[in-house]
Amino acid sequence: MIATQDLAPQIPNQAEEIEQLQRSWRHPRGVLGWLSYTTHQAIGMRYIVTAFIMLLAGGIEALLMRTQLARPDNNFLSPDKYNQIFTTHGTTMMFLFAVPMMEGMAVYLIPLMCGTRNVAFPRLNAFGYWMFLFGVLFLYWGVFTNAAPDMGWFAYPPLSGPQYTPGKRTDYWAQMITFTEVSALCVATEIIATIFKMRAPGMSLNRMPLYVWSMLIQSFMVIFAMPAVVVASSYLLSDRTIATHFVNPAEGGDPILYQHVFWFFGHPEVYIIFLPALGFVSAIVVAHSRREIFGYTAMVLAQVANGFIAFGLWVHHMFATGLPQIGEAYFTASSMMIAITSGVQIFCWLATLWAGKPRLTAALHFVYGFVAIFVLGGLTGVVLASVPLDWQVHDTYFVVAHFHYVLIGGALFPLFGAFYHWFPKMTGRLMNEKLGKLNFWVLFIGFNLTFFPMHILGLKGMPRRVYTYPTEMGWEQSSFIATVGAYVIALGGILFIANVLSSRRFGAMAGNNPWSADSLEWATASPPKSYNFEYLPMVTSRYPLWVQRSERAFVTGLRSDRREALVTTLMDAEPHHRYVLPTSSIWPFITAVAVSIGFAGSIFNPWYLTWGSVLSGLALIGWFWPRRPVELES
Amino acid sequence: MRRAALPGLALSLLLSCAGHQQSTVDPAGPQSGKIDTLWWSFFWLLGVIFVIVMAVLLLTLTRRQPDTEQELLESTHKPSEQTDSRIRRVVVGATIVTILTLFVLIVASVGTGKAIADLSFKKNPLTIQVTGIQWWWQIQYMSSDPSQTLVTANELHIPVGRPIQILGLSQDVIHSFWVPNLHGKRDLIPSHTTNEWIEADRPGVYRGQCAEFCGLQHAHMVLWVIAEPEDKFEAWMRAQLQPAVSPSSPDTQRGQQVFLNHACIYCHQIRGTTAAGQNAPDLTHFGSRRGIAANTVPNTKGNLAGWIVDPQTKKPGNHMATIAVNSTDLQPLVDYLESLK
Amino acid sequence: MNDVRTVDVSGLPPYDISHQSPLWWGQLMLAFIEGTMFFILIAAYFYTRLRMDVWPPPGDQFPHLLLPSLALVLLILSCAGSYWASEAAKKNSRPGMIGGLLLNLLLAGAVLVMRIIEWHSLNFNWKTDIQGSYVWAFIGLHTFDYIAEMVFTAVLLVIVLVGRNGPKQRMGVHVDSIVWYFIVLIWIPIYVTIYWAPFFAEAQQ
Repeated sequence: MIATQDLAPQIPNQAEEIEQLQRSWRHPRGVLGWLSYTTHQAIGMRYIVTAFIMLLAGGIEALLMRTQLARPDNNFLSPDKYNQIFTTHGTTMMFLFAVPMMEGMAVYLIPLMCGTRNVAFPRLNAFGYWMFLFGVLFLYWGVFTNAAPDMGWFAYPPLSGPQYTPGKRTDYWAQMITFTEVSALCVATEIIATIFKMRAPGMSLNRMPLYVWSMLIQSFMVIFAMPAVVVASSYLLSDRTIATHFVNPAEGGDPILYQHVFWFFGHPEVYIIFLPALGFVSAIVVAHSRREIFGYTAMVLAQVANGFIAFGLWVHHMFATGLPQIGEAYFTASSMMIAITSGVQIFCWLATLWAGKPRLTAALHFVYGFVAIFVLGGLTGVVLASVPLDWQVHDTYFVVAHFHYVLIGGALFPLFGAFYHWFPKMTGRLMNEKLGKLNFWVLFIGFNLTFFPMHILGLKGMPRRVYTYPTEMGWEQSSFIATVGAYVIALGGILFIANVLSSRRFGAMAGNNPWSADSLEWATASPPKSYNFEYLPMVTSRYPLWVQRSERAFVTGLRSDRREALVTTLMDAEPHHRYVLPTSSIWPFITAVAVSIGFAGSIFNPWYLTWGSVLSGLALIGWFWPRRPVELES
Repeated sequence: MRRAALPGLALSLLLSCAGHQQSTVDPAGPQSGKIDTLWWSFFWLLGVIFVIVMAVLLLTLTRRQPDTEQELLESTHKPSEQTDSRIRRVVVGATIVTILTLFVLIVASVGTGKAIADLSFKKNPLTIQVTGIQWWWQIQYMSSDPSQTLVTANELHIPVGRPIQILGLSQDVIHSFWVPNLHGKRDLIPSHTTNEWIEADRPGVYRGQCAEFCGLQHAHMVLWVIAEPEDKFEAWMRAQLQPAVSPSSPDTQRGQQVFLNHACIYCHQIRGTTAAGQNAPDLTHFGSRRGIAANTVPNTKGNLAGWIVDPQTKKPGNHMATIAVNSTDLQPLVDYLESLK
Repeated sequence: MNDVRTVDVSGLPPYDISHQSPLWWGQLMLAFIEGTMFFILIAAYFYTRLRMDVWPPPGDQFPHLLLPSLALVLLILSCAGSYWASEAAKKNSRPGMIGGLLLNLLLAGAVLVMRIIEWHSLNFNWKTDIQGSYVWAFIGLHTFDYIAEMVFTAVLLVIVLVGRNGPKQRMGVHVDSIVWYFIVLIWIPIYVTIYWAPFFAEAQQ
């Protein structure tokens, strides 16, 4: 057996050690085996594939919406169907695509980039994925049984309360949130623990790649933001199923309170989606312009500031509710100030590209597209931060344009860039560059064709969430162009899928480091073995692979007859103790099933929560019950 | 990218010659006027910034590096200290410019907000209470004199040049009152009363639409605000305060009978008759209004007949019951309702 | 012999029962998550109170203070059991762990009984009015965590009793103590909100 990483220390019995390593880290066979995987690459891929399918679902929902809106007074969709579809589109994109996709990429990349073998809590990782998948199935069960939510992805009461949306639709939405929030919180917890405690020796905090910083900050944001949406959705669920009065105006419940609690989550949520994308951009810019990032410290501080300030903006979603002027002024200031933190990062990337040697790969195309689209979206965000301007354009297509510019430009384009950049690492083959560049242009043109006219529609008075509009308003032309654009985006999606499928079979072999990039994931096989590195690397620089060979160092002495990684200290990443990681286990799956029975059943009968808790408790006991003799070793 | 210039141009062009109904950039009052001014300042300032950033972005691709820099990059992955310190100055400068620009924009916004607030609480306002109800607007002219309070629906008349205080309420879910030619929007929230001041500079007919998703027929909740000179407004008020016109012809008399003998009276009110329902638009002066069903369709005899026979076709899901009316009863009923000027 | 540098970590222990362990950090994150949730609910409770003219809502009795306050004291005392067990875990002392876990469970159980008695004395439930919804939300959520934690502690006790207390299980005992401290600590602001707010935030017609 030879090592798959690019340099490996020659030690006695290396071949046997590697063989033992492969055995300890082997995936179990069969269906039950597949349900028991706990390696981060496998679970990361599952997240990525499932979230991508959700992107397609959300895209189809968008196409249906745009088809209805292509012409005035259209009857392609009834108002009820339209309302279900636009709600499901927003819900799918925000909860079932964007956040899980970012989580999945992190689950895949973080252990590799940090030079370790797995995330800190492999079984929790598996559990989180199953909860996400069951959340998808749960919501879409509702969608396909005419019980799709229909009250907007943010579900404001009283419209979403028991009086105005009877039936199960809102319940499916609210409980799906619980599934996906549990999943996101699991990933956030393990990412923080992994980044803090399992980095390669020598990777002090100020040597961490910027993507790792992005995920660290994002994970903290998830920890503090998600509980708010759990509270908000629980308000709705309990008002609807067990007759509480949290948001019932007749009993003192305040619809505005719901908005505060929801948006306290909702605003950080978009940065939760956005921050990992910024990390992608940094990684791609550095690798493809072949120079160190300009302003590393500024980049880190800007992202940290971004993370904090994002929690102080939420009221800008509520400027039209008649809050006191002085409060609104504060939120104008904070909402505009966050443009500084984003701006600083844009300047640093531009500086890096300016004084680097950019190689216009498909991945870098997407970065350029990101800058163009995101900056425009950010500027319309500055418009929305202004209270008087927001009073006019709030709840119009201007806002729809804004958030698609910042979310698609700011998150989706970097994500596609990330796919093109890391596909070789994940599959061992390069994607077709020519098709990739075509892919970029189709998406870029389609995107602008769809969403640019929406700025105009908003200024011309077209409100959001309308299933149709009359001819005399003059909205037809822009709406039609937007619909054409949507189909062009769909074509871009098809091109991407075609590129993925064909490259997997016929793409050029990538080798360990096709881009001559700097970070640790490129120091090992493509795709990596399930243990990532035969010998965990040590780092002496921010750009570990760009140092002289004589500076490269490795860890030896970890046991290969069981799954072991290294725990290092938080600040300076000095080796502290060895960490025994669990092997495959079916318990995360069983626990997820038990919890899901509780959650899913509870919208039909609250007693399911009790039975679900009992079952989950039993499953957790199985999960933690000591089994292997090796655990008794001191 | 260079494509930015084109959209910018397209935007200005489109906005300058597009239809102005419900437009945010065709102000007819001081509040919307101030917002319009603010919008264009933002547009040009931020537009210039966008063009500059795009230019820099493109230049990163076309820029030629001196050979010494290239060699340094290849071996160390870092440009020279000189280059980096020059860039650092530019980046710091750009950051400072960003902070200053944003500061200016914050001051402009807060200033405009204050200027708009100063237009509020003026003397001698006309106070109108607008209640959002799925999916129509109840309009109530408030007055200290009970005989001067008027209840109507879906259409608002205001005197030009007088400040109007709109009190916003909702009976069911959250709606939003928005007449962009006059002002930004204000949400109508159950258990709250919101407050917005508008004023028309010139006579005109201004369209408004509900701007907070409120259910199935959110798309068909339209409001007309008709601004007219003071004297015409007074005349309108006087006419509206009168009870309903008594039917004068046999046809309209029959129509009134049809109305009073059907379930219409459970929801609708016609002052001066026994119909006193409170759940649906007041029909006392229905004939004088421009639209039917919160202006889903224009108010014509044909449309009214269609609406009565089947309210669910044009506005599926709305709360009006389908009431069986004989074909012989329908025409008189329509004639009667249209006679209620 | 290859010329790359190596560092041999085989001498390092395969576990560490302290804040250096990833598990400790995972537990801290869980505390942040739950804590944030409760603090949002507490803030929402007071927001609601500020909108009401009469508080507590008419018909809702004022809470009895004796039993809950006694329970709070006992709850804080039960931390001693957790501390004892956790220190014993670090030293690998089986009797210490058993003693500590048992003490914790006994006191926690007593407090639970006191709680249940106290619930029966409340003259409102979550359907009665908005205060009822909040009070029962606090009670329900906290007690759920509480019972789950007691079950976890009991299972750990069983594991130690049957002698399967390897380093991982001892880490579990240490982590269990941290969770218990959190459950006790977070109860304090909740207790103040439920039991004292009706008095200091009272409003009559």
